[in-house]
Amino acid sequence: MRNMFKKGFITIVFAVACGGVIGLQYEAVAQSSLLFRTYKREVPQKLSETPEAVAEGKKVYEKRCWYCHGIEGKGDGPAAITMFPKPRNFTRNEYKVRSTTFGSVPTDEDLFRIITSGIEGTAMPFWSTISETERWQVLYYVKTFNEQFKKDATPKVIPVVSVPSTPESVKRGQEIFKEMKCFECHGEDGRGNGPLTVALQTEWNMPYRARDLTEGWNFKGGNTIEDIYRTISTGFNETPMGSYLEKLSDEDRWHVTHYVKSLAKDMASDVVVKVKLFEGGELPSEPLDENWSKSTAVEIPLAGQILVSPRHWAPAIDAIMVRALYNNNEIAFLLEWDDSTNKQEEIFRDAVSLQFPTKIPESLKKPYFAMGDSSGSVNLWSWKAHWQEGFGSVTEAFETEPGVVSELNAKGIKNVAMQPPESQNVTGKGVYQNGRWRVVFKRTLNTEDLKGDIQFEIGKLIPVAFAVWDGSNSDVGGEKSVSSWYYISLEKPVPKTVFIYVLIALIMGASVEMWFIARLRRFPPKLEE
Amino acid sequence: MANKRNTFLLIWIITAVGCLYGFLKYASPKIFQMLMAKDHPMPTPSTLMMWYMIMGVLAGLVYATTSNQKFVDFLSFLLPDRGPLIKSFLRKILFIGFPLLVGWFVYTWAIPGAASPVELRIQHPTLPQEFEKLENPFRQADAETQRKCIEEGKILFQTYCRPCHGSKADGNGPFANSFRLRPINFKDPGTIATVVDNYLFWRIKEGGPGLPSESTPWDSAMPSWKDDLKDDEMWKIIMGEYDTAGVMPRQREKLE
Repeated sequence: MRNMFKKGFITIVFAVACGGVIGLQYEAVAQSSLLFRTYKREVPQKLSETPEAVAEGKKVYEKRCWYCHGIEGKGDGPAAITMFPKPRNFTRNEYKVRSTTFGSVPTDEDLFRIITSGIEGTAMPFWSTISETERWQVLYYVKTFNEQFKKDATPKVIPVVSVPSTPESVKRGQEIFKEMKCFECHGEDGRGNGPLTVALQTEWNMPYRARDLTEGWNFKGGNTIEDIYRTISTGFNETPMGSYLEKLSDEDRWHVTHYVKSLAKDMASDVVVKVKLFEGGELPSEPLDENWSKSTAVEIPLAGQILVSPRHWAPAIDAIMVRALYNNNEIAFLLEWDDSTNKQEEIFRDAVSLQFPTKIPESLKKPYFAMGDSSGSVNLWSWKAHWQEGFGSVTEAFETEPGVVSELNAKGIKNVAMQPPESQNVTGKGVYQNGRWRVVFKRTLNTEDLKGDIQFEIGKLIPVAFAVWDGSNSDVGGEKSVSSWYYISLEKPVPKTVFIYVLIALIMGASVEMWFIARLRRFPPKLEE
Repeated sequence: MANKRNTFLLIWIITAVGCLYGFLKYASPKIFQMLMAKDHPMPTPSTLMMWYMIMGVLAGLVYATTSNQKFVDFLSFLLPDRGPLIKSFLRKILFIGFPLLVGWFVYTWAIPGAASPVELRIQHPTLPQEFEKLENPFRQADAETQRKCIEEGKILFQTYCRPCHGSKADGNGPFANSFRLRPINFKDPGTIATVVDNYLFWRIKEGGPGLPSESTPWDSAMPSWKDDLKDDEMWKIIMGEYDTAGVMPRQREKLE
């Protein structure tokens, strides 16, 4: 009996050890793919479009939709003031995501899909949370705002028959992208920075922003090849994005689709920016230095600064990419973000800032993420583009823009102070090229200003937050795009002692094994009875 | 009891544990992706993985010890015999593999990994005294006034709260992704349904900066609205917010 307990006990300990070791090897994955919606394609059986359904739809509309789209469907609801892009005006035919020809109204199924999934990058939520019946009813009501739905009851649908992508097709697509002058709005590299796009304005006096084709998550109505093909073929009503149904053959539209798809990337986000030890001597100080490819890039979503007045409801910059490298002496950051133009005005400048706590926090308590608070001060590294009369024309060649780098301290938004000249030890430089700003910051790991400067330590989690200003969007001061706290971690190089540990482990593993086998041989297991 | 002897029992158990690992690591994320109709795999959390592996190894060993016969078979695999060639081959792999596995575990433990941040969320900091006695001025009003207040509150909610908390009060506004401590989902029965009106009034008025010091690791991005909204507007927002989320505030206990 005692023997059994002993055996059982040893068994359990062994199992726990094995399971624990195997289980903990498994690391958690990054959260990037969890951030954005996927568009649902399936449309259930249609509800018949009766006056009763329309009447029911009106109830749904006046309960859920009118706050943004307006009681008369004009897209002028009371909540629309804090929205960009503005809500759809249903009295006009400005429908974007349709399967029908340019200028036509969408089909009921198109409307159903958009109500179900909403639109990424806008305030339109997914209404898959209300019943299918309600969705049909409300869309029938929405149709009553525009007479064209009656006149044009069966709009012509453009069929989508998928053609798989090939490298040749992508290459041909790139040529057509040039021939059809897509770059005039979408830019050379597809970042929505073409010379035309900034000149055109909507009736809200907002710029028509050509889609940044590299930000795959923002494609209206989805970023699958079928979605892209549909948009190229149907165009977006009442926008400069026309239909290419007649201008391009079916085959050519697929080539362009595959090229556009090749530009679209996912947001590779993470909570910790890993900073690698750079072994090539001097850290890169040029934004276009190829050594930056040795670092790990993390992309971080940004929101408008809505914490204190003046609140910024319509930020133009929605993501920033961060890279960093360090060596024995210095640390360097490369910050990249897409901006459709480097046009600015004297007070509205393109700028970026990095924020660290002045001391690496010992506990979970950090300074307030929006520029610190009275009990926790932050260290800001700021870069601001130069401004002078005539600068900021949209050029295709890249423009080096050294900008002004400064180091500040803040204890809250209203308590910001420039560091004295002798403590200004951050250097930096910016370059604008094809719709993308790239800014480098560099500083020594440690400084003499222990009170005002962050001192970097290897292996520790150091909080960091970001802010970006877009001059052409009239960003200034508190009107900026911001992130909450993220972290950087200066990676420890693998110490040599690791290999000694492994050697010891191998020897010990082998010894235990041999002892076990020897014992087993000496006392071979036998049936007791 | 003439049990059929299985001299490969040890190998079978090792294979079974290996299969379990493969299932948890590769198959299960895909299966849950399909079942829950997600567009990304659903990886097994590492602690869950650990417990399943512990159970797996334990089950294997329990099975091996269900009878003395099995236990003898289980162990005697390790002893030299005149069995088939494959047996001595597997045995050699096992002998070499075990120390290597131990070495690999030690290696993965010893190399410096990036620490991942620990973030705690305290669910309910205590409502400060000065807010406790307040009364929502519109809750006792007649039905018509209440309806108007809810409607006005909803408009304010859709204007100022929607960018983060979302049109449906589900915490999915267009700015929600950018705040790592995501905006609260008010539809969740564990959130505003468990507190009284005053609590929300406190949170709206003072925001993240007004949280007591024991709550600082919250990283709350909730703005303080005291400079921009009137008290009446906040009470209306609260009514509109409960209505949008489809939940009711907790009722005060009547004190005798």
